[in-house]
Amino acid sequence: MKILRINMGAEGGPKMSEEPMGEYEGLGGRALTSAIVSKEVPPLCHPLGADNKLVIAPGMLSGTIAAMSGRISVGCKSPLTGGIKEANAGGQPSQVMARLGYAAIVLEGKPKDDTLYKIFINKDGVKVGPDKSLKMLKNYDLIERMKGEHGEKIACISIGPAGEMKMAAASVACTDMELRPTRHAARGGPGAVMGAKGVKVIVLDDAGMKMRDPKDPEKFREANKRWVEGLKKHPVTGEGLPAYGTNILANIINEARAYPTKNFMWGTFEGTQKVSGETQAKTETDRGGSATHGCHRGCTIQCSGIFMDKDGHYLTKQVEYETVWAHGPNCGIDDLDTIAMLDRLDDEYGLDTIEMGATIAVAMEAGVADFGDGEAAIKLLKEVGEGTPLGRILGNGAAVTGKVFGLERVPVVKGQALPAYDPRGIQGIGVTYATSTMGADHTSGYAVATNVLKVGGHVDALKPEGQVELSRNLQIATAAVDATGMCLFIAFAVLDQPDTFQALIDMINAFFGSSLTGDDVTELGKSILKNEREFNTRAGFTAQDDRLPDFFKKETLPEHNLTFLVKDEDLDTLFNW
Amino acid sequence: MTLDPDKIQGFFPLLQCGFMVKVRIGCSIKTMLCEQFGLNPEYVEDRIQTIFLDGKTVDDIDSAIIKDGSTLALSAAMPGLVGATLRRGGHLALLRSGITHRGGRKSVSRREGMVVLKLFNLVGNELGPTFLKRGIFVRREDLEGLLMSLPGEFWGGCKAATVDGQEVGLDHLLGMTWLDNYDFAMLRVHGDL
Repeated sequence: MKILRINMGAEGGPKMSEEPMGEYEGLGGRALTSAIVSKEVPPLCHPLGADNKLVIAPGMLSGTIAAMSGRISVGCKSPLTGGIKEANAGGQPSQVMARLGYAAIVLEGKPKDDTLYKIFINKDGVKVGPDKSLKMLKNYDLIERMKGEHGEKIACISIGPAGEMKMAAASVACTDMELRPTRHAARGGPGAVMGAKGVKVIVLDDAGMKMRDPKDPEKFREANKRWVEGLKKHPVTGEGLPAYGTNILANIINEARAYPTKNFMWGTFEGTQKVSGETQAKTETDRGGSATHGCHRGCTIQCSGIFMDKDGHYLTKQVEYETVWAHGPNCGIDDLDTIAMLDRLDDEYGLDTIEMGATIAVAMEAGVADFGDGEAAIKLLKEVGEGTPLGRILGNGAAVTGKVFGLERVPVVKGQALPAYDPRGIQGIGVTYATSTMGADHTSGYAVATNVLKVGGHVDALKPEGQVELSRNLQIATAAVDATGMCLFIAFAVLDQPDTFQALIDMINAFFGSSLTGDDVTELGKSILKNEREFNTRAGFTAQDDRLPDFFKKETLPEHNLTFLVKDEDLDTLFNW
Repeated sequence: MTLDPDKIQGFFPLLQCGFMVKVRIGCSIKTMLCEQFGLNPEYVEDRIQTIFLDGKTVDDIDSAIIKDGSTLALSAAMPGLVGATLRRGGHLALLRSGITHRGGRKSVSRREGMVVLKLFNLVGNELGPTFLKRGIFVRREDLEGLLMSLPGEFWGGCKAATVDGQEVGLDHLLGMTWLDNYDFAMLRVHGDL
């Protein structure tokens, strides 16, 4: 594997160089993006300046036959948070890029003018060329253009108009199996950094390339078989997610009275059943779409789907739980078709759905529109895509929008909007929201088997600091999984089935000829977090940035009469290990 | 109503909205599920992994007591950190300790009462036919809304309908305004080949 660097600001136009992994040998995914960013990017640089770098890295096992290994990480200094960022996505590019032999593509420098470039990579090499005709194309139109130019056996990494306008909520889009730009590395604005580098699209064509070869093919095949069996036999990865997708959570979180409603004013939403995973799956199948679909080849969980409009025409992929919540109940909207349209527009413009849902809810609280007004929400999002003055404000996220409209109740940490769980109801996730190196992020501390990994030892359930300890363990374990390129949804099978976790370790060892243990995985996770934490510290972050907004400590969540109770001094111990 | 078995799922949306059933209150969740509803204890243990009683997450189904008017929601295991956190027991339960059901402290007399039951996702699919056959009380507007939304192909699989003991034709059923006088209706649905 090698690293491809493209200096977009070189004299005479972009210059490419390829180099061996060197000091980054053995790293992949988030481990690699965070290592490169923390070592090579000046922490105090402007995120949209020449000194920032955009690092795109498949996981350690991407490009192999390993099931679920199709995540791709995108890292940079975030224009949204001002700290380090790793956002990851599914889709095809991870597998294709890894088969082309690249462990990372690093975009460096900055063009001297506003020229927009297309990068094409296949077995014969890399071509970088200007293409003015791509300017302000929406993602779906852009991909259609690429299909016309390069055929249908490609995978694309692209930005929409939001990225070109360098909005802090801009995403990097990845194409799925049907060559639709539906999978996004979205959180924290990596699309704006790609836009600042002047890159509209990276087209990957792995024709003539083979799957990556494991060191021990026999052991690798056998471990992958156990791995797939483990995923299929688990009720979450084998039944719940395939049947309903991630939005299966809507009814449950609402029942827990921790379903943020109307900009975190309430914990339940009366229209939840209209937008639940059960209703969504039925709507999809009734209209001739699908409630069970993968986002990349080699996915066995199939948590996605196809959402058709009322006339039976494709509108968007199955909208995920976070997006349904952000654009739905958080804005008081209970209409699935409106939510699906908002998801499609986010994908078209290249925007983070969580950030945009949270931002529109903040705008609604500020009186820009009424809660529950779906048409107004669509209109606001279109303003973002068109780059109107109001759209530019909204496209820079909830924190900026809250400031512009003088609002105190703005649900962000480190400038990034909170996802779909109220931290006053589920306080442990509030600890992760507050302390994550990424800003408020529900995937930073995931349900990976801390008991299996034996990170942190015994947790005392009666002590508040126990929540901090558990969050720490989860963040360490999650960082390690993010390095493998595995979809985080594997966590459930790994949580409950130690033999499935062992199958994953065996697969990594068989592929690399290593002898990794659970302890090594823990150390990998710690080293990733250490890199990220140090970067943020050098970028100026202090303990005060590891806090939830004040209103979570002052306003009770009505249904539970609870505020966020974890003390600041306990939060400050999270990175003590 | 008597339907082709594959049409029963047309009524599943009612399960997530919540319906009422008559039960003997003052017992534990486990007693109600296994002894009153006749569910297999293994099914309850293995499949019903996520339980809420009056909005609180339940870990111990032996100590959580059903009261008159309680709302009980049942679900399979859920994805995500929060989904795993809300599951019964386990080391992640700490993360939501503020909303955990603390068990029954006051004794509740054992007598007949009503509870609201919500069946979500896989649990709804699997237990729905049993409860629909047994009979559920549903809110008038929920039932009306559902009947109006069912497509023509659903009604093609409807073999018979009875209202207050009187057999009625489907046209009659769909055109009726009988629900206007009631807040609730009791619905029984049978699958028949």
